[in-house]
Amino acid sequence: MSNLETENKEGNPLTIKEFQEGIHQGRIEGYRCKNCGHKQIDIIDFCPVCHKSALEKVEFAKEGKVLTYTIQLVAPEQFMNEVPYAWAIVELDDGPKITGWIPFISKASDLPVGQRVRFKKSYLPGIVFEKI
Amino acid sequence: MPSILILRDNQYDPQYRNMRDVFVLGAGTTKYGKSHLSARELALEASKKALVESGIEPTDVQAGFIANAFSLSEKQGHLGPIIMSGLGIADVPASTIESACSSGASAIREAWVNIGAGIYDCMLVTGVEKVSQLDTITATTYFSFGSDYIFEGACGASFPGLYGSIARAHMSKYGTTEEQMANVSVKNHENGMLNPNAHFHKKITVDDVMNSIVVASPLKLYDACPFSDGAASAVLCSEGFMLKMNGHASEAIKIVASGRAGGTGALHQRPDLTTLNAAVLAGREAFKQAGLAPKDIDFLEVHDCFTIAELVALEDLGFYPRGEAAKATQEGQTRINGETPVNPSGGLKAKGHPVGATGVGQVVEVYEQLNSRAGHRQVKDARIALTHNVGATGGSCAVHIFEKN
Repeated sequence: MSNLETENKEGNPLTIKEFQEGIHQGRIEGYRCKNCGHKQIDIIDFCPVCHKSALEKVEFAKEGKVLTYTIQLVAPEQFMNEVPYAWAIVELDDGPKITGWIPFISKASDLPVGQRVRFKKSYLPGIVFEKI
Repeated sequence: MPSILILRDNQYDPQYRNMRDVFVLGAGTTKYGKSHLSARELALEASKKALVESGIEPTDVQAGFIANAFSLSEKQGHLGPIIMSGLGIADVPASTIESACSSGASAIREAWVNIGAGIYDCMLVTGVEKVSQLDTITATTYFSFGSDYIFEGACGASFPGLYGSIARAHMSKYGTTEEQMANVSVKNHENGMLNPNAHFHKKITVDDVMNSIVVASPLKLYDACPFSDGAASAVLCSEGFMLKMNGHASEAIKIVASGRAGGTGALHQRPDLTTLNAAVLAGREAFKQAGLAPKDIDFLEVHDCFTIAELVALEDLGFYPRGEAAKATQEGQTRINGETPVNPSGGLKAKGHPVGATGVGQVVEVYEQLNSRAGHRQVKDARIALTHNVGATGGSCAVHIFEKN
């Protein structure tokens, strides 16, 4: 018998489809935990910090800074015509981290760690950022 | 802002009550590299070698685990019954264990659990991978399926790209240099030259690594392990079964610890990108179980899928303080004759990385080394060895410690 308390009886407040539609329409959506306030961009049903299932859907800032990145010269199928580009981990200004790619980055001097970047609505695949 | 905890207050501490001792009775491997054989054929070749090394017949095998990640690329799933049938024992249960690149160690771990718990006395663990039929782009795509695909693969990250971002984070936090990472590759190629089953037999220099083509900066082609075909197999058994094996019992090695842990699938959910939390936890559990510390380990086989991964492994397992494995490698401390020999087999970099086989292949190397049968790459007086096998970028990790009496 589970004594699990959940506020999300209707299931996950943000599906993958909704997340990806949001990206195509220019929104970064994710979760905020109503119990402890933790913010995360992911597909989850439980908070990794307080372990409660009380997540709500929220929209996050479009700007942030690059924490680390790679410059892809050999890429998976979907991206083979886009090389070279940077794939980066970005910390958004309101806290959570997200991944994305930045077209036309070919050398490390183009993108210092800490570079400010902005999420860009795009018809390209994945989550696209540009340098500010 | 709260961050994801590295160690939860209520983290479960596994209990190994009444576990029996478990031994590796024998182990064998195919050559790693490009093969014209299919996964099922490679698996049979390695399994047969392990059975011969153990001095047993297929009919002595009571159950099996197959470690494999990409057999669907050959249009073949459900490898267990295929391989058991090939050994003439179709009635013996076998299922596939998949945890990306750590499938091999996970399968060893589960066989250890089954035998330790007294369910079986003799199990066959065979790891296998066949990917050379795929072109580089398709193989790169398959490997990206091991990431948190929505956020990583589908946003343009390849596997080298994910480790490239770990490398850049390590460089910016600890000042690790590309030349220092290159030293890992040079050392592992040097060891691979001495391993007849290695994918590469080619001596390389730091300049060769630095001048090789960039795959996912800062990682270059010679920072990366190859896509390899190959299989490795081990027979695990209880003490009672081993003692009935007369001559072969003298070559058995004892599994003195088996630790494992998980981590987030996606890199961006981690508070620190210079460490794999799963490896820290799995290592800690293994050392605790064995009652040993890094100083007691005579040599290690670690998961060097990329040069940076070997440095991070040595720091995660506590062999060197954070940021200091690069310097130690540069000084030669991790060479076969150094104070902490790492990857005498050539590691994933030079021996090769047939994904499902890799973790079982590490056990084959330990078996040969601890029985003083490793030829020119023999680590002198090796008695206790550790294996470290990582799934993807650390979503899973298993660490084992072995001892020969």
